[in-house]
Amino acid sequence: MRNQIITKEFLSAMLKSLTKDYRVVAPVRNGKVLEFMGISGDTEIVMNDEIPYKSAKDCFFPQVEKLLTFKDGEVAANINAEKTIIFGMKPCDAEALRVLREVFLAGQYQDPFFQSHFENTLIIAVGCVREKPGCFCAERGIDKSFTDFCDILLNDEGGEEYTVVYLSEKGMDLLGRFEETKHILPPPERKAAETAPEVKKVELNQELDETAYFDIIDWGKATEICQGCGICTFICPTCHCFDLKDVSMQGATDRFRCWDSCMYPKFTLHASGHNPRASTKERYRQRVLHKYLYVPQNFGCTACTGCGRCIRSCPAGMSIRKVVEEVMEVQP
Amino acid sequence: MSFEIQKEKIKQICRELLEKGEVDVIIGYTAGEIEGTRIPYIFSKPEEADKLEWDERCTPNLCTYLHGRKDKVGIVAKPCDVRGIVNYLVESQLKKDKVYIIGVDCAGMKDDQGNPSPGCGECSVKQPPLYDMRVENPDVTNEKGAPPEAADPADLMEKLERFQNELQKCILCYSCRQACYGCYCQVCFMDRGVPNWQPATPDLGAKMVYHLGRAMHLSGRCVECGACERTCASGVNIRYLIKEISDFIEKTYGYKTGLDAEDQPVMTTYAFDDKEIGFLGGDADA
Ligand code: SF4
Ligand code: SF4
Ligand code: SF4
Ligand code: SF4
Repeated sequence: MRNQIITKEFLSAMLKSLTKDYRVVAPVRNGKVLEFMGISGDTEIVMNDEIPYKSAKDCFFPQVEKLLTFKDGEVAANINAEKTIIFGMKPCDAEALRVLREVFLAGQYQDPFFQSHFENTLIIAVGCVREKPGCFCAERGIDKSFTDFCDILLNDEGGEEYTVVYLSEKGMDLLGRFEETKHILPPPERKAAETAPEVKKVELNQELDETAYFDIIDWGKATEICQGCGICTFICPTCHCFDLKDVSMQGATDRFRCWDSCMYPKFTLHASGHNPRASTKERYRQRVLHKYLYVPQNFGCTACTGCGRCIRSCPAGMSIRKVVEEVMEVQP
Repeated sequence: MSFEIQKEKIKQICRELLEKGEVDVIIGYTAGEIEGTRIPYIFSKPEEADKLEWDERCTPNLCTYLHGRKDKVGIVAKPCDVRGIVNYLVESQLKKDKVYIIGVDCAGMKDDQGNPSPGCGECSVKQPPLYDMRVENPDVTNEKGAPPEAADPADLMEKLERFQNELQKCILCYSCRQACYGCYCQVCFMDRGVPNWQPATPDLGAKMVYHLGRAMHLSGRCVECGACERTCASGVNIRYLIKEISDFIEKTYGYKTGLDAEDQPVMTTYAFDDKEIGFLGGDADA
């Protein structure tokens, strides 16, 4: 591992030089918050152990994306993702992207828009030094300093340096372009024990049918303080529900895909006026079951990586971890 | 008198209220999962009062949890929470016999960095204007704090620039609306299909429509609790805009929201000597 090192100063210069050929996204201070943003030559990239308040999922699944244009009886698809490099995704973020890939690309339907973003993006992940308040990646089976769902992985050595390994050909090629990094190697083989620390996992019993969970706890009581604001879903790296909106202007119609949230009243509102998820209780239950039961049953992975964002940003102090643990105590 | 002494008093009051059956539930604060945070706590057994917390991190405005409840509620209320309750009474959103107010003198709340929580720095109502039981703090007076931030620029273009700079951070999640005690419309204008106020894309225009609409709907109704600013995960501060409207209303009509339950809502009443400036295009001196 002796030479697997680069300085933060070099990395910063390297990322900036790459803005010539790529859109480079990195953690940047935006007012009071740290956020993944596109950088330019004079942006200050934040390279400490902080985690951006919102995930980087909008690089793959933008908050608003124009999918199709209808004009004069023709339909044109808008599939032209920019070549992108993301620096600073944490292992929980990278693992969350694995979940999104399963949902958008591995199932019955493949989403060409997501695919285009996914294939055109190179991920430089950074291991966490410390767990942040609210983090529970270990309980979700994720190693805070390692993920192989990235192209290059860095780990902060506590000073001005990162250790570096590559995990894909894309990553190797990028490092090969620089004199200072072309000798970098992939990581040594890891033993299973190294990647899976011994902690009790937070998860639901995937053998059970959803109906077993509908009244398993008093969902009304568990969600009494939730304000239904939905910020938990917007900032979550795995939440992926969307709405489609058509906008007509000057003879053409554009179809947009926009983030939606199961915590919003309109999410399940029927044209008849009936709403099958009438209150916060049903909406929050859906959020938990979607992440911890439906995605596991349909795609074989849990749609929560324990990044803790929803817990840190909830104005009411709701904790999905606590709620799932409450369910675990009584589940068969 | 410290928070600690007030806390013990609050616990005792809540326990007794439940024991005597004077209320069905209590809404107060307890410890959150994240170290140091205080979160809303709704409970109905006397012994559960032991988990109550009261200190300088009790920031959430609990008044919002009263809206729509059918049971009789005891509420641990900071003065800004009380102002919300008073305005619910003024706007007929709540009946006084459905709420028991434990009004707590408030020395000011802090954020996780130890700085004054949004709204607290400039707060001038630190003693509850209405209560069934008051938990005093003799060190607390209703003295006005320092103005929190630079005044809004007078120049129109600079004003616009400041507004749009804030909006650049906004992701239109509507959390600020959900956190606001005053945003209780059954269907928010932003969620309406007919007419559709929200364009397909959350661009600057959509953000301006939302924030200006919300600010106008809160004219004379904001109780300066800071919940909207504190809640915003994206660090957007639009509260200054609403504050400016409140200051205007105080100056023009001598009305401060949430101090007197006998008041009429300021924007729905009219008096012959109202100043013309309250009307669009009105003259300041007329
Ligand atoms: S759990 Fe928290 S963040 Fe999510 S909708 Fe409820 S109040 Fe908002
Ligand atoms: S549910 Fe919460 S903890 Fe889990 S991945 Fe989403 S934001 Fe992170
Ligand atoms: S100001 Fe903040 S809380 Fe309000 S909609 Fe915008 S991002 Fe959400
Ligand atoms: S607008 Fe903001 S400060 Fe005013 S009452 Fe609503 S949440 Fe509180």
